[in-house]
Amino acid sequence: MSQCDAIQESIGRWLDGELKATDSEAVRSHIAGCPDCGAARRRLEKIHSTFGGHLRAEASQLEFAPFWREVRRRIDEKRPWREDLFEWVQSQLTAPRLAWSVPAAIVLVLGLISFAKWPVDGQFSNYASVESIDTHGRNVALLREDETKTTIIWLYQDPEGENENVEEATKSGPAF
Amino acid sequence: MELSDWQLVEKCQAGDADAFQELVSRYHQKVFMVILGLLHNREDALEVAQETFFRAYRKIRSFQGGSSFYTWIYRIAVNNAIDAQRKQKRNPLDFHENIDGIFAARNEVANDPFADVHDRELRENMSKAINELTPEHKAVIVLRTIEGMSYKDIGEILGCSEGTVMSRLHYARKKLQDKLRAYL
Repeated sequence: MSQCDAIQESIGRWLDGELKATDSEAVRSHIAGCPDCGAARRRLEKIHSTFGGHLRAEASQLEFAPFWREVRRRIDEKRPWREDLFEWVQSQLTAPRLAWSVPAAIVLVLGLISFAKWPVDGQFSNYASVESIDTHGRNVALLREDETKTTIIWLYQDPEGENENVEEATKSGPAF
Repeated sequence: MELSDWQLVEKCQAGDADAFQELVSRYHQKVFMVILGLLHNREDALEVAQETFFRAYRKIRSFQGGSSFYTWIYRIAVNNAIDAQRKQKRNPLDFHENIDGIFAARNEVANDPFADVHDRELRENMSKAINELTPEHKAVIVLRTIEGMSYKDIGEILGCSEGTVMSRLHYARKKLQDKLRAYL
């Protein structure tokens, strides 16, 4: 990036007074001696003066009395309760509150789920259990579910046992 | 002695409607300018500006003075204007009619016809270029142009960081310069 490119990137912040004193002085002295960067500065100033001039011209034609009359009419007017409610809800939905609302909603849902599963008569109606049995290097896991009288049986190999076999194989050394 | 904004706010909170009228008289033109800059339509801007003050009146009891009154009222104005812009995709030609009205008034006192034509083209194209920016980019340009606000204040109004304001402003200016290069 050339020096002019870097300066032109900073002209906006310089005009806004948002640069540090040392950077500001560097931009000012460069612009004073560089016609291209001077032109870039004038372009930016022209945009703001033209746009601001238009807005100020429009606003200067705005009369206060009719403006206030209409605001006053709205204040005095009775609005339907739905509009009031909607406005109140909108005003309550601020960013910090929304940030809290997500974990709060999760806790609430989990609470409701736990409550629904909690037995009324002291006994779980939909009880499920998992058992694991080791049978000589092979594992058996049972899932029993009372309500539907379902039993699921898993058979799987013990991964530690496999590792032991691998270790034994490596101990004997590589086979060439 | 003229009361400060905060003193007027306190009077409003105590139920003094005249104090609110004084606040409206202080800020109605500035609020209108901000909204007009975002909406580009005089009638829509007027409607949203009046609604802004109405909402401010309704909320003023909850205003704690954590920020200045003008920051607070601008925040309501910008939010209302952005909402209105998203709800109503009005015909952008309305804005050109407003601009033409201003030009007609200025041409009466202008001496240089060439400069007039050039300025007219610049304004017309500027309105199009600004209208093509997103509401967020428009908002930073408008707030910076009207009040010369600091990045900190703009960030407070728009609910974003100073860094975000800086990058949005840089992007918006670059876009405008690219589109208006022939007229600047």
